[in-house]
Amino acid sequence: MIYDFFELTTQAYTVALRDLKRFWQNIYWLAGQVAMNIADLLIFGLIFRGIVRPDLIPDYIRFITPGILCLSIFISSFTIGREVGVELRREVTHYLVSLPITRGALVAGRVLGGVLRGLMYQVGFLILAVLIMTPPTLDKWILILAASIFISVTMSSLSITLVTLTRDFNIQAAIRSLVYFVFFFMSNVFYPERALRARLGPVAPVALYSPVSMAVTIYRYGFGYSTEVDLVFNTAGLLLWSTATVLLAYKLYIRNLRR
Amino acid sequence: MSRLKTILLVATWDLMKLRNQKVFVAMRLAWFTVQVLVFARAISYIVTRTVENYTGGVEYYYFYILGVYTTLLYSTSIARGYMVAEEFDDGIVEYHLSLPVKRSTLAIGRVLGGGVSTLIFTLPMMIIVYTVLRVRDPVIVAISLASALVFSAGVVSLVILLVFTIKSTDLTDIIVGAIDALLVRLSTVFYPLPVIASTGIAPYYVAATLNPISHMSDFLRILVFPEYYLVAPYGPLASILYLVGFSMGLLLLAIEFYEKKLETGGWR
Repeated sequence: MIYDFFELTTQAYTVALRDLKRFWQNIYWLAGQVAMNIADLLIFGLIFRGIVRPDLIPDYIRFITPGILCLSIFISSFTIGREVGVELRREVTHYLVSLPITRGALVAGRVLGGVLRGLMYQVGFLILAVLIMTPPTLDKWILILAASIFISVTMSSLSITLVTLTRDFNIQAAIRSLVYFVFFFMSNVFYPERALRARLGPVAPVALYSPVSMAVTIYRYGFGYSTEVDLVFNTAGLLLWSTATVLLAYKLYIRNLRR
Repeated sequence: MSRLKTILLVATWDLMKLRNQKVFVAMRLAWFTVQVLVFARAISYIVTRTVENYTGGVEYYYFYILGVYTTLLYSTSIARGYMVAEEFDDGIVEYHLSLPVKRSTLAIGRVLGGGVSTLIFTLPMMIIVYTVLRVRDPVIVAISLASALVFSAGVVSLVILLVFTIKSTDLTDIIVGAIDALLVRLSTVFYPLPVIASTGIAPYYVAATLNPISHMSDFLRILVFPEYYLVAPYGPLASILYLVGFSMGLLLLAIEFYEKKLETGGWR
């Protein structure tokens, strides 16, 4: 039993490492993404700082920084879905299932690959957040790390789940955008909950259950922007999201591998 | 067959593909609705009323949703790149080039077909925006449609040039995605030019002024809200001339590329 678990972990780690290596190969894409994330933070944050209501958001750059942390995870972890999608279209999956590893290890490796991509990509933005916001204490760092792991597991699994729904390149790209719009616009990334309540009325609480809102709330607490947050609700919620999406990704990816 | 007929035939081929894009249209409509009804409403709630000094008194929500429509027009035109990439993957480009059709005719037909497809594709979203803005004047609607066609033809030409030069599905996804995101950020979609100018970032201001997305969105704003003309740094004539120049220039480049440089094979 312990040997099997060790074997599965080793196999998954090998797959994840391959995915991580491929991530660094697209260096121009990475540079472009980093530039855009920083542009979002500086340009969007800087300009909006001058035009937002100070009674709602005193400093928009400090407000948006945790959202950019979440966005960085979304962008990097979701790339694993793009690769799985290309493999399905080009039927590279036949090669993958012929490898001397279990299918469970393969799926676990792909999810882990997405998680590692997300966490590594986020490091630079965490440093930026430390410079812009209040440096967290050790216990808050643990919370931030947990939130980053949960949100990257969720995004990585979700991206795998969604690309297995269709082999159409165009629809895969459209789904990716739709997920971004729904998760980020129906959340507290760009505006506080008060704005959502004012505009969406009874529907506004839906945003609280978004994994993006949960992660952003924890980041805001960790970096000292908010002091009173429901840590149990947000952490447990993220754990639930990541568990549910991993199970879904496993089921759908395995289904596709068997075709 | 006359040249015009051939162009229309090629353009119709592009339009026929719209039939297979119902799911895609539904998804785009869904996220556009989220953007207009959730994001735009919530973001306009946090913006101060002083911003209206820079919009000629136009409410930020109205200012923004015309920008969102332009973004959609742009992104849908850019998405033609993914389609052309798929055609390369499937060998359809080779088939096209083997047809007894002049390459220049093929290029014009593809650009026209792509532009009209984009226009039809984004029509439901335009209806949503113009309903919210209570635009009922048929002249405004007609001018909006014509300018949207000119704009999308230019972007389709650009993307065709890009995909044929890159010749790779993966790189197309990456580069087209990056250009898409970058140009939208460096435009007046989110904020008026005077607000951008007030940040003191000169390259950003210059990029926003030269950006075709800025010209398209500001042209629509002046068309729907004439009072915006009072604060716009360029008039409607300058914008429309810019857009026509942008589209014609890129179309000519696309024709030149089709005629002299386009080779099949080597797709990665």
